[in-house]
Amino acid sequence: MEKKLSEYISLSKNITELKSDNKIKVAILSNFTLNGLDETLRVKTSELGLNYHSYVSGYDQYNQEILNPKSDLYNFSPDITFLILSTRNFFGDFFHSSYNMSDLEKKSLLEEKLKQLKNLIEIFKQNTNSKLVITNFNIPYYSPNGIIETKSEFGFHEMIEEINIELREISKNLDPIYLYNFNNFVSKFGEKNVFDYRQYHLGDIQITYNSIPLFANELMGYIKPLCGKNKKCIVLDLDNTLWGGIVGEENFDGIELGHTPNGKAFVEFQKELLSLWHQGIILAINSKNNFNDAIKVIREHPSMILQEKNFGSIQINWNDKAQNMKIISDELNIGLNSMVFFDDDKLNQERIKQEFPEILTVGMPDDPAQFSSILKDMNDFNVLQRTIEDKNRGEMYAQQRERKNLENSVSNLDDFLKQLEIKVKIKKSDPFLIPRISQLTLKTNQFNLTTKRYQEEDIRQFSNDKNFEVGCAQVLDKFGDNGITGVYIVKKNNDSWFLDTFLLSCRIMGRGVENAILSEILKSAKQNGIREIKANFIPTEKNKPAENFLSDSGFQKHDDYWIYKLNNDIKSPNHLKVEIEND
Amino acid sequence: MTSTLYEIISQVFSVPISEVNDESSPENIESWDSFNGLVLVDELETNFNIKFTISEITDVKNVADIKRHLKNHNVALDDD
Repeated sequence: MEKKLSEYISLSKNITELKSDNKIKVAILSNFTLNGLDETLRVKTSELGLNYHSYVSGYDQYNQEILNPKSDLYNFSPDITFLILSTRNFFGDFFHSSYNMSDLEKKSLLEEKLKQLKNLIEIFKQNTNSKLVITNFNIPYYSPNGIIETKSEFGFHEMIEEINIELREISKNLDPIYLYNFNNFVSKFGEKNVFDYRQYHLGDIQITYNSIPLFANELMGYIKPLCGKNKKCIVLDLDNTLWGGIVGEENFDGIELGHTPNGKAFVEFQKELLSLWHQGIILAINSKNNFNDAIKVIREHPSMILQEKNFGSIQINWNDKAQNMKIISDELNIGLNSMVFFDDDKLNQERIKQEFPEILTVGMPDDPAQFSSILKDMNDFNVLQRTIEDKNRGEMYAQQRERKNLENSVSNLDDFLKQLEIKVKIKKSDPFLIPRISQLTLKTNQFNLTTKRYQEEDIRQFSNDKNFEVGCAQVLDKFGDNGITGVYIVKKNNDSWFLDTFLLSCRIMGRGVENAILSEILKSAKQNGIREIKANFIPTEKNKPAENFLSDSGFQKHDDYWIYKLNNDIKSPNHLKVEIEND
Repeated sequence: MTSTLYEIISQVFSVPISEVNDESSPENIESWDSFNGLVLVDELETNFNIKFTISEITDVKNVADIKRHLKNHNVALDDD
């Protein structure tokens, strides 16, 4: 249940700076009164363990803030800026008088308004690395034209639609610009709930107090992935979650899935889950059942939407659910804090909540008709960029299972590695690779020497700087393409290079890929007449797997740094092929 | 009725319920500014399932005024 605005306001007063260094700087600009949003976001971000720093610009000051390069907005240097514009105030008098204007006049008004927006976006981009979320314009439900509004040559509604289309094009073409579909928000909750004439006349409030927490939820959809708080995996129970009834009691034919009203609700829920799987969300099963009973439904039931291949991990047994959760996390190499748990049973929900508070356990109602809308109301599965690696993730986990099977069938590691036929393609950063490179620096925790987090803008700057070399590695083997899974950033000083970043996605750890990449960096340095490579290991709670990498690779510890003298021979693993692209 | 008038006032303005009385007003409750005043309106409307008019909202100078308007909307108030 969503809390009321008054509760957020009183909660926000008691929030103190957390010890966590996970910080988010949010700027809010709007052209109407938007009190309470800042307080609500403060509470919602602190619930995620984030330190929230904010800048709320004065009433209707967005033009000045954006146009003046020395403004407080730019001084604050936000990570993300929300520009929230109401149709009413953006059009001013034209909100009503456009109905007396000729089509031509309306077209020139549209041009002028678009120019204003484009200019703001352009100036904003020049002055800050902040992401900009701009709201599109709400199309009012009312028109004085009544039923012939849609027959008007160039009606007011059509004019707003035009602006919204243009804004969408801009956000498609400019990485740091996101368009939030505010018009959709209003249709989701209804203009009569989101807008109230009394609040409007009393203080130019154009999102009602009741709607502010709902609106804040929508904005959290951006903040979560920006801070790495988005979820990657949905763990599902089976009985009364993916189908109705208990398969062990009612048998294969007795469960509800398909033709009955309840059965249709489960099918719908499965379809929504499958859509998320297609977007790169991993699905897994955690169910107390006889394996054979349950897997038969998945394999053979005619109305079953989700298939075995859609699940990255399948735990159907009589073990403790918390223990299964840990196994799923290990098998998928995904942190428990990236998981969501769906289970109809209140006891199981409690068990997981207590054992793993970092897992998002969803409170499910008894009525399966509500499952789909609960899933759709979650703002946890957003990503700021979807890379090819993300989209193919589901498939990659299936390939991973095949690799595991091979590993189990081969008796020693060397043979396994040889049979994998690994190929490593080393690529220099380019505009197409930048989103993925940034993404890997933001989310790689385990095999990461320095755990430095870089936004796309940072990577772009390094890539354009002669003193830096940014590269990444694509890893392929006989089972398929693992995608871009390794990143390095080298800072070049005269005769010594510094390894600013060196990381490898956890799913390909332990196959010699890290050694192959490092050895290419060393070789390249040697060819350039460099004397030594300096590196650094910054320990975190999670990067133990990378702890001994430098010493194992022949680096020597000198004071705070690890140093590799390039007059040494450079070893490279021989079970894999290395290709160097776009050199 | 889920909460009493004083409970709501105390929660919205973050003041102890014992400090709320008929004379409570923006003069003696520090957090009672125009913003929180409107949050209070919203809370009262949701809780008592009524809608105030703009005149009623702008007329309120203290808690006694709120009680008067609530009575106009046929809200039965317990002895707070």
